[in-house]
Amino acid sequence: MKNSPTIITRRAVLRGLGVSLALPALESLNPVAARSAQSTLPRRMLVIVNNIGVLVGRLTPTTAGRDYQPTPLLSILSEHRQDFTVFSGLSHPGVSGGHSTDNCFLTSARGAFKASFRNTISLDQLAADHIGHLTRYPSLNLGVNIEKANRSLSWTRDGVLLPAEDSAKALFQRLFVRGDQAAVEAQLRRLDERGSILDTLLAETRRYSRRISSSDRSRLDQYLTSVREVETRLQTARQWESRPLPEPHPTSARTPNGLSPTSEMPGEITEDRRFFEKFELMLRMAELAFESDSTRIVTLMLDAFRTPVFQVADQQKSTDSYHGLSHHGHDPVKVAQLEAADRRNMKILSDLIGRLAAKNEGNQRLLDQTMVLFGSNMGDANIHDNTNLPIILAGGGFDHGQHLAFRKDNNTPLSNLFVTMLQRLGIESDRFGSSTGTLTGLRMT
Amino acid sequence: MKPLIMVIICALLLVSYVVPTDSAAARVANAPNKTGKTGNSSRRASVAVVRLVEQLEVSCGKCHNPESRAGGLDLKSLPVDLSVPGTRAQWVGIHDRIERREMPPDQSSLTDAGRQQLLAGLRNWLLPTERAEILVNGRGPMRRLNRDEYEQNLRDLLHLPDLDIRDMLPEDRESRHFNKVSETLDTSRVQLTAWLDAAETALRQAMATGDRPSPVRLQKAFGDQLSVGRETTGGREAMFWIRDSIGIDLAAEKKAAPKGAPPDPTIEMALFRSPGWPYGIFPKGVVAPAAGNYRVRFAARAVLQQPGFRVIPASDSVPMTFRSRRPTNHDIAEDVRSTGGNIDILPSGGIYETTVHLAAGQTIEYGMLGLPVPQPDVKGMTAEYRFPPFPAGGQPGVAFKWLEMEGPLPPATWPSPSWKVLFDDLVPGGESRQPVVDARRLLRRFIANAARGLVPDESIAGFERLVQRRLASGRPLTEALLTGYQAFLSSELFVYLPEPVGESDHYAIANRLSHLFTDSRPDNHLLALARQKQLRDATVLRRETERLIASDKFSRFVDHFTDSWLDLRNLRRDDPDIRFYPEYRLDDFLTESAGLETRAFFTAMVRENLPAVNVVTSDFTWVNERLARHYGLPHVSGAALRKVSLPAGSPYGGLLTQAAILKVSANGTSTSPVLRGVWVMDRLMGEPPPPPPPGVPAVEPDIRGARTIRELLALHTKSASCAACHARFDSVGLALENFDVLGGWRTRYRGLENGERVSGIDRTGHDFSYTLAGTVDASGRLPDGRRFNDIHELKKLLAANPRQLARNLLHQFTLYATGVPVRFSDRDEIEAILDACAKDQYRLRDLLIALTQSRIFLGPKGCR
Repeated sequence: MKNSPTIITRRAVLRGLGVSLALPALESLNPVAARSAQSTLPRRMLVIVNNIGVLVGRLTPTTAGRDYQPTPLLSILSEHRQDFTVFSGLSHPGVSGGHSTDNCFLTSARGAFKASFRNTISLDQLAADHIGHLTRYPSLNLGVNIEKANRSLSWTRDGVLLPAEDSAKALFQRLFVRGDQAAVEAQLRRLDERGSILDTLLAETRRYSRRISSSDRSRLDQYLTSVREVETRLQTARQWESRPLPEPHPTSARTPNGLSPTSEMPGEITEDRRFFEKFELMLRMAELAFESDSTRIVTLMLDAFRTPVFQVADQQKSTDSYHGLSHHGHDPVKVAQLEAADRRNMKILSDLIGRLAAKNEGNQRLLDQTMVLFGSNMGDANIHDNTNLPIILAGGGFDHGQHLAFRKDNNTPLSNLFVTMLQRLGIESDRFGSSTGTLTGLRMT
Repeated sequence: MKPLIMVIICALLLVSYVVPTDSAAARVANAPNKTGKTGNSSRRASVAVVRLVEQLEVSCGKCHNPESRAGGLDLKSLPVDLSVPGTRAQWVGIHDRIERREMPPDQSSLTDAGRQQLLAGLRNWLLPTERAEILVNGRGPMRRLNRDEYEQNLRDLLHLPDLDIRDMLPEDRESRHFNKVSETLDTSRVQLTAWLDAAETALRQAMATGDRPSPVRLQKAFGDQLSVGRETTGGREAMFWIRDSIGIDLAAEKKAAPKGAPPDPTIEMALFRSPGWPYGIFPKGVVAPAAGNYRVRFAARAVLQQPGFRVIPASDSVPMTFRSRRPTNHDIAEDVRSTGGNIDILPSGGIYETTVHLAAGQTIEYGMLGLPVPQPDVKGMTAEYRFPPFPAGGQPGVAFKWLEMEGPLPPATWPSPSWKVLFDDLVPGGESRQPVVDARRLLRRFIANAARGLVPDESIAGFERLVQRRLASGRPLTEALLTGYQAFLSSELFVYLPEPVGESDHYAIANRLSHLFTDSRPDNHLLALARQKQLRDATVLRRETERLIASDKFSRFVDHFTDSWLDLRNLRRDDPDIRFYPEYRLDDFLTESAGLETRAFFTAMVRENLPAVNVVTSDFTWVNERLARHYGLPHVSGAALRKVSLPAGSPYGGLLTQAAILKVSANGTSTSPVLRGVWVMDRLMGEPPPPPPPGVPAVEPDIRGARTIRELLALHTKSASCAACHARFDSVGLALENFDVLGGWRTRYRGLENGERVSGIDRTGHDFSYTLAGTVDASGRLPDGRRFNDIHELKKLLAANPRQLARNLLHQFTLYATGVPVRFSDRDEIEAILDACAKDQYRLRDLLIALTQSRIFLGPKGCR
């Protein structure tokens, strides 16, 4: 026997998924009870953040409105021109502090650079509070190359970080693989057991809180909130547990023990340098989650900041880390590599929009039911500037096709767009974070 | 809003002699008083604060007013409620900037006397307020266990030393590089769910030890069974079979032999390359039937390969280890770990023995240290592979004769201690005759064991109700108990460490001490002392501190403290860029040895009580064969580290210039004096760069035209706002430019285009070609004006201030030990410790012991 290594190529990984995706998955999904109760099709949200951002000067058109001239980066998206809006002049007021602001992108909390900083609830978690119970997973929080301990787009009401999932394989397993009937029954019993443990913990924590100091109280409150939240989610989990899991690949043969054949499982990409391949794979996972209605809310943080020397293209490796490149100081060698990376970001986004547009749900394009927000907390990473953020919104049922320009010197709160997005999800809300209203000029269709 | 107005009115009445039209006074009066105690002292403070703010406005109000808001600071609107941590930090910041004479920027606008007066005023306000608050609440909030501590607690409680649940828990957030900081160790639903899962897994494992121990099996491999594959990647030079030291054609011999013939014991497997992850070479059929420890014995000798596939005895030992892994071919996500320690195989050969820990179904791969590692080319093929040129004398390797593995080694007693922690004298598989009574007894017994302090009866009763309910619903006794145990191990009683506040908080002290030095629960001895309330006795506490430092478990402190403080957890983060550093390609042995050196060095600093100056310079260090070569030191044999004296002129003494430090402060491709400078100033010197002030417009760096790193750095001094910070760290980084990304000494930079070309075949069998470009200039000037020409001179300058080195260590220790950074009111205590340790040059164990005896560690009612 010859020991020769197996390298899982990007092509193989995507091919494996592509087969399943090529099938008309949406039409043959297991209808979930929650959906049958609804008269309208579900609305979804996908937020993608690259925490280094893009060279914003090459993204933002010089003129506003519908007749804008496509910039080098936007021309990559040109075939979807009517399906997205590019924004300029948006940022979170008072949110500065360079790279630490990625944690505030979906929260708009100020003062990330201060030692006493405390985050606030993120857009996805707020939305999940309203519509999360309609799906098996209230939301999914994904990451690429992410420093899980310290960085996330998703934050609880107490401002506590919710760690991102960075393994496509683990995610697939969670979404689509389950044991046999006995395993399901064991799981139900386990949930039952959990329920009574949580009751005990709730009572115990209340007892404890009577004898602690005020500085401990805020810590214990976090614990108490956690107990309550796990309890609520347990209720949902119990309801979902007895229902069959959706299939990512409806026609696939099932093995006798009821497990999906592992060949459907995406391969793991472990090397951080394969940043863009990981990005693509995670988007495929998000699509699978949407198509199977496992969740309607997905966040994806591309931790470019933590990404070492990486493959800008299949045959081109960067000379520096992503972050190192971002401080280009106008060095043409670095700028050229950043441009290539930016083009790759846009191409992947364009492909995603294309795939969502090609799929139908009911008589709608899946794209029209799915908001895709692509953006960054960095306006200009070269100088650690957190204003004039690059923001693109595709799909979701808006009157797109324009460049919505706001003032460069006095930005409009990005949270205004978030309010609009909440409303698009059907959530009656007129404020979020530092919002001053909805976003002017963006109409729903 | 009404109650608030009432409070304000009451407060105004209380301080009625304050003129209410004065804005500062009104703010003081409005400041809520959390303790509710509004005695004379707070009234006096209020008046003093009003005066203080007025004084500040005289000296600083020209810029820090509502219109200018220089640096984002407006003294008029700055709140004065010190119970808000952010406000407190801001006022301490004002104090510090005035003290460091950074403010006001025009030195002449404030006389020395005026400055002292301001500082005294700030101090007299900040100190008593903070002390009063600490007296009530302690120095900080209670801290939850991080995942290392949670795992270690369960390992020790359940007698499961190999329990592996850390990765089930979310990674902990870090603050100031540490994952032990109370304020950032948050709790979310994800965290709680993970605790429940991890506790369940741990308890199930403990319960499973009640099953009859797996029968011990002896598995033997010899001849061609020593490897599953009969040849391997990387040319025949990488691995072949020998008889009487001469290579044989094994395939042909097997073909010629009759079917079913036993393996030939006269042949040996000769291995000359390191099966780098994940390309395994492992014996055939040697697989763990169950999880556990296994004794491995094998016969082997160190050899040198000669041309023509012959071997001769080696001139030196060859180090190896085993790695646990599944006996699969290749799985990129395979879990592969070193086990059994490093073994030096001698040229004379012999029978070696070690104990490995394996999961069910795992085998052991031969982990050859320091040998060439084959690497597939970009297409994932190894066809292009060439074995690198042999070193003079021949290619070192190991010839294996036979190997046997015995296990799983049975527990010393059965039922095991793990079972007994859960169920005492219940017989595994048996049934209790009085489950309700047993449930009550066993639950109480478990909680008494598991708790690290006293648990109130009403809490125990709550957990007991849970167990009895499960029992009543028909669950077996053991299952019902497990549910109760799981609840306790996930409860706030278990996952939080209390802050010592009161005189009688001996358990809190015991826990703080044990989690500092052993990352885990106090052992029985320490708990007994807490029960007897002896831990405020300075002699007892000192004895306990010394005992823990001397114990085996002290390595947990060394590992985790250096993981955070010196960033060793990221030691493997950046692979050296093979375009510039082919000699480091896939050299895990070097990286691993570098980490061991730094840890051995730091261990000695504490255990041997060495002076703080060793942070920057020393005339000794710890090396093995690989590191000695890396540092250009005289040859030593083997993988084990040993203490060596450094020759005069060696730049490698002190933590500052160790390979591990120089690796984590670089990025694998290039070194940046800026990043290394910041790293050193922050971590070793205790002078982190201040965060950029908010509201200051960023300067757009423009580096076009700068050709060398020096020209680049020179640009930093052009702009005053760049220079203010860069002057603090750039120069220190420059002195480290003589060290490459792995700490190797260099006098010239490497490039790809310009300069003299160097080409060859690297240790993985690939061609390399780089150039020797510009010459390194490591000279510079510290912010205070002192100049240095190279690292030797810089070390002298840094070593001249041992007090600052020691102060930094105390700050790092304080954060690690208490979860709270050194507070304003702790500073006097820190200086007092430094005073006491000065006469012995600030030795590390002295510093640690003094810290554990201080109010910072013991709480406001401490014994000093």
